Amino acid sequence: MQTIPIPHVDPLPLPAPVWLFTALLLVVFTLHVAAMNSALGGSLWALWNYLRGHRPAHPYSQRLAGELAAMLPVFLAFTVTLGVAALLFVQVLFGNFLYASSILIGILWLAVIPLVMVAYYGFYYFSYTAARGKGISGCVLAVSVCVLLGIAFIFANNMTLMFSPERWLAMYRSHPNGWNLNLGEPALLPRYLHIVNGAIALFSAILAELGMRKMKEDAGYGRWVVQRSALVFAVCTGLQFLFGMWLLLAIPREIAMVLLRAPLAGSVFGLALMSVIAAMLLILLGSLAEKPSSLVHAGFALSLVTLFLMVCLRYLLRLAYLKPYANLGALVVRPQTGVIVLFLILFVGGLVTVSYMLWMVVRSGKTRVAAVASF
Amino acid sequence: MLIALVAVLHVFVSHFAVGGGFFLVVTEYLARRRKDAVVLEYCRRHSKFFALLTLVFGAISGVGIWFTIGLVSPEATSTLIHAFVWAWAIEWVFFFVEIAAAIIYAATWDRLAARDHQIVGWIYFVAAWMSLFVINGILTFMLTPGRWIATQNFWDGIFNPTFWPSLVARTAVCLILAGIFGYITLPRDEGRERVARWAALWMIAGALVLPLSLWWYFTRIPHFSQLYMNGVLIGVRHALRGGVGFTLLALAIALVFGIWKPRWMRPPVVALLVLCGLGMIGAGEYLREFARKPWVINQVMYANDVRAAQVEALQSKGVSQSANFLLTGSTSGAAYGENLFQLQCGSCHSARGYRGMARRVDGWDAAFAADILQHIHKLRGTMPPFAGNEEDRKALGSYLAALNPAWHFTITDANRLEIGEKVFASRCGHCHTVNGNFRPLRGIFENQTPGQVQDMFPVLGSMNGDMPDFNAPDDQAQALAFYISREAAKPMSVKPAPAEMPTGSSHSQLMRPVEPRQEVR
Repeated sequence: MQTIPIPHVDPLPLPAPVWLFTALLLVVFTLHVAAMNSALGGSLWALWNYLRGHRPAHPYSQRLAGELAAMLPVFLAFTVTLGVAALLFVQVLFGNFLYASSILIGILWLAVIPLVMVAYYGFYYFSYTAARGKGISGCVLAVSVCVLLGIAFIFANNMTLMFSPERWLAMYRSHPNGWNLNLGEPALLPRYLHIVNGAIALFSAILAELGMRKMKEDAGYGRWVVQRSALVFAVCTGLQFLFGMWLLLAIPREIAMVLLRAPLAGSVFGLALMSVIAAMLLILLGSLAEKPSSLVHAGFALSLVTLFLMVCLRYLLRLAYLKPYANLGALVVRPQTGVIVLFLILFVGGLVTVSYMLWMVVRSGKTRVAAVASF
Repeated sequence: MLIALVAVLHVFVSHFAVGGGFFLVVTEYLARRRKDAVVLEYCRRHSKFFALLTLVFGAISGVGIWFTIGLVSPEATSTLIHAFVWAWAIEWVFFFVEIAAAIIYAATWDRLAARDHQIVGWIYFVAAWMSLFVINGILTFMLTPGRWIATQNFWDGIFNPTFWPSLVARTAVCLILAGIFGYITLPRDEGRERVARWAALWMIAGALVLPLSLWWYFTRIPHFSQLYMNGVLIGVRHALRGGVGFTLLALAIALVFGIWKPRWMRPPVVALLVLCGLGMIGAGEYLREFARKPWVINQVMYANDVRAAQVEALQSKGVSQSANFLLTGSTSGAAYGENLFQLQCGSCHSARGYRGMARRVDGWDAAFAADILQHIHKLRGTMPPFAGNEEDRKALGSYLAALNPAWHFTITDANRLEIGEKVFASRCGHCHTVNGNFRPLRGIFENQTPGQVQDMFPVLGSMNGDMPDFNAPDDQAQALAFYISREAAKPMSVKPAPAEMPTGSSHSQLMRPVEPRQEVR
């Protein structure tokens, strides 16, 4: 009897070098998280402003809720679309771990699908009815928000369970039918809070950027959006430090040490810290100025950089956890060069096509890209 | 069961997503050219329905299939991903463009110039059809890997023998579904007849192409899959009849309620039409999945996620040497057998529910079950070989035998025939009929008395390497002999057996093991 069961690696060779898969995974996952943060953070922002906007009437809040309502379905559409790509690449590299942990929490993992549909249709309902200002729209949105928070929790469970093979066998024996959660993981709660709070923070930075654009049409409203979101961004970033510290203390000491001491992980960690502090200062300073300035743009850009660095750090953390069980360097690689080139060409072609369509929408002049969903 | 439902619904909606996009953009073009404001307004409404259905349900249920296959067949999923990750990545690019185009198309009827709006529509359709093109390569690969088995070359896998016929058939299905769903947003008054006739044309066009492409497809599938379609297997028979019936009914509705009397096309008829479409897809998916049994990837991996290349090792060393997840510490007994059941049978069978085993093994004792497991791939050709050693077979056998209480009969003249039939179904019926067209026994037992029949039972196990030892209690053996003798004496009622039947050997001889290529050190 083996003590720690690890499903074997697929006998087929990898169809491209590990670095390429890693790079693609990090890029699409960053984009996925940005979209996810917009959907989750945006829906929380929309809910808060929707509730606040109507009793007593607060025109700016009302307007913001209405504008966000149109964007939420698009955010969720891209969260899913980009998530599929991330899921694809993570399966190539870590499939044997991910399948095992997914099976262990199988019932809840499958529940993600109907839950996303519920949240999605909820967003559409809200986008159609928000303008009427009825309580039911707020309730539907609240349900969607709760569902998204639940989905995030299920993902946090699976993503922590996949690098904890030592827990699998006992878990399987206690509930072989897939009714498990990784609640025994001490890092689960801080990780979850870190993700959810981070989503609010990042979307606040995005909103500050959107507010800067709004200022061109309506200075008062734009300024209000920038200042509000800057404030929330600063508070959430502060909280993020607390959750981050908790997370560092919760993960095993030797793995935390990797993050702090290993040259690569340590540098990424240090850069991320510096960039997030800079982003916070820039956005706060920019928004407090008499006329919110380009500092906000720089802060927004840095917050995206921070996101990318945190995604890299998350990847390095996974590698540190899996070090005893997986060795990506030992995988046999036989690149399918022709197809890789074709993919890259089509990928660029796809980006060009989407940009072209967006350009046509923008050129039509009667709309903003953000309002596209309001059909 | 749930998984099948999700898959069928996804296929239903995703083919509509391709055909419906084509339908929309062509209809928009014609409406604009003819300056038909009513039909243009119909397009606008239809596009909203289209986006809500395909963007949310279609796209998310597709992700659902990913989640599901990862849970049910992680090995097979992993193999497909390793072989075709770039196909999936390319498919994803098209999917991404498709989603962006669908959102923009449905939202910009008032904002974009007519020409630009139609360009977005065409981009949508091309991207959607291309994603079907790529996925079709992976799906057809699973039944007909073709030269890939030898070369492991990406292009050999994608452009496999059934790629083109399947692509044409799927495109035909897309056209039919575009027509069917076109009725859901039919205008109430003006324009109703124009749209109804137009949508019917789409269905008819698809229905004309479909049989030809399916026949082409049928000529390209493996021989053992073709043999399944001869109607011996009840599920296949029902699915074939259902698929043809639903398609003909949909065609009839298109002709009568679409072309001839469009004003009769009312919601109940549309609902019936949608059900026909769903039935068509359900039957097609069932047959497509079934034709591949016992494989999930033909010649590479069995439906229970066991690699063909692993079977020999598992049969000689036993499952406990290689399985990662065992519920029990001991490696014998019914509890271990249950564990084996979940590992090797659980992807297709449950104990008492879906494809439940309890009713299939009623009347088996542990020794007989263990013996049958050795020949399990011979039954009707749809089962993979049991990948375990003798100890594993005994454990699984004792689990299967314990699913039902042991049989004890008081046999009288009145119930002898009935009990004999029961014993036949339990002991012989999985591989034989007496007078039927599946491995009939009539030739051997015709004109024999019950006593003569019973005299042959003890030597069955030594007659032929594929027959299990006969070990039923004496009273059951008597009843069985009585039944066989009586049945074999009946006049022949069924047509003679086809020359060839699907059996385990008809596909296992194709098997070429795939060598393990890499290990983590």
